[in-house]
Amino acid sequence: MFKLNHRILNVGKRANLGITYSLNNNNVLISSLSQQNSLSLISQRNISSKDLTPKSMPTDFPLMSQKTANSPLDYALTSLDTIANWARKSSFWPVTFGLACCAVEMMHVSAPRYDQDRLGIIFRASPRQSDIMIVAGTVTNKMAPALRQVYDQMPEPRWVISMGSCANGGGYYHYSYSVVRGCDRIVPVDVYVPGCPPTAEALMYGVFQLQKKMMKSSITRLWYRS
Amino acid sequence: MSTSIIRTIKNIYSSGLKRAAWQIAFLNDTKRGKLVGTDDWGNKYYETDVPEEIHLRTRWVEYNANFLGIDISNVEPGWHYWLGYGTNTPPHKLPEDQKSVRAYPLPEKHKANLTATRGAYVPYNTAKPKFESWEPVVSERL
Repeated sequence: MFKLNHRILNVGKRANLGITYSLNNNNVLISSLSQQNSLSLISQRNISSKDLTPKSMPTDFPLMSQKTANSPLDYALTSLDTIANWARKSSFWPVTFGLACCAVEMMHVSAPRYDQDRLGIIFRASPRQSDIMIVAGTVTNKMAPALRQVYDQMPEPRWVISMGSCANGGGYYHYSYSVVRGCDRIVPVDVYVPGCPPTAEALMYGVFQLQKKMMKSSITRLWYRS
Repeated sequence: MSTSIIRTIKNIYSSGLKRAAWQIAFLNDTKRGKLVGTDDWGNKYYETDVPEEIHLRTRWVEYNANFLGIDISNVEPGWHYWLGYGTNTPPHKLPEDQKSVRAYPLPEKHKANLTATRGAYVPYNTAKPKFESWEPVVSERL
């Protein structure tokens, strides 16, 4: 193979073509080598074998959420999905990413009045043991790589709650020189909790919204129906 | 939740097995108390003065919804205020002179949060954009 490539490179040089080109299109070159015609090399370079731009695309296919169960396997997989989703939403383990005053409200959720433990929410100190990241507070430029690194360390499936104005879109510090204008510029966010800071009750409502979203995900059905 | 077995047994005896099971599924707790009122969605509001209940756990709502449909936005704002101990007067017992008068009519049933459903609010911009994209036009060379 190396020898062949070497020959092609030589041919390419003779035809005054770039080396990078001949590496990508071995098959085209081999077929044209038999013709021993360097002109055909140039002509084939810019013409695609098929029209790559689609003229029209189907837009009226049903969405995943619009499909209804109509076979026994559908019902079985729906039940399996529900069980898996229920298990996921009932052991809701967030990694705490407390950055500012929002973190105090997040602590209130774990304190006895709102008592997150009764909902199966346990704060984990390590991202490798958690499913959800609650970004609570202002994400500065200096903190941004650390935030992304913590997110990357979390195992799949993972979710992110953006808590407070600063994490949602920069908030009060939107025009600052050193603040990220929303943590969704760094990590994909599932639920935005508004407020400055949001009350503990508001964060808890965001958690419930995320749990609803988790219950809607179709894990095995996506694999089966697509 | 104060987890005294005597309290739980008392509550189950008071509510009956079926309702106690419902309460454990929805509230993670058993409760007993008197019905204060019902809102426009059919949610029932309860209050209790039994001595076993701890501070700020004496008012609760039992939703008129299925297991996945429970949402605090089903609670009417006036009842939400009452649930959070903002007032001791439930909204349906407010005297006429204390009821707030709206300049615009309120809907018959208040709207719940429709996020993540087909009725979700989608924002759109009505203002003219302050800048437009550049259209490259090559002027003819002379």
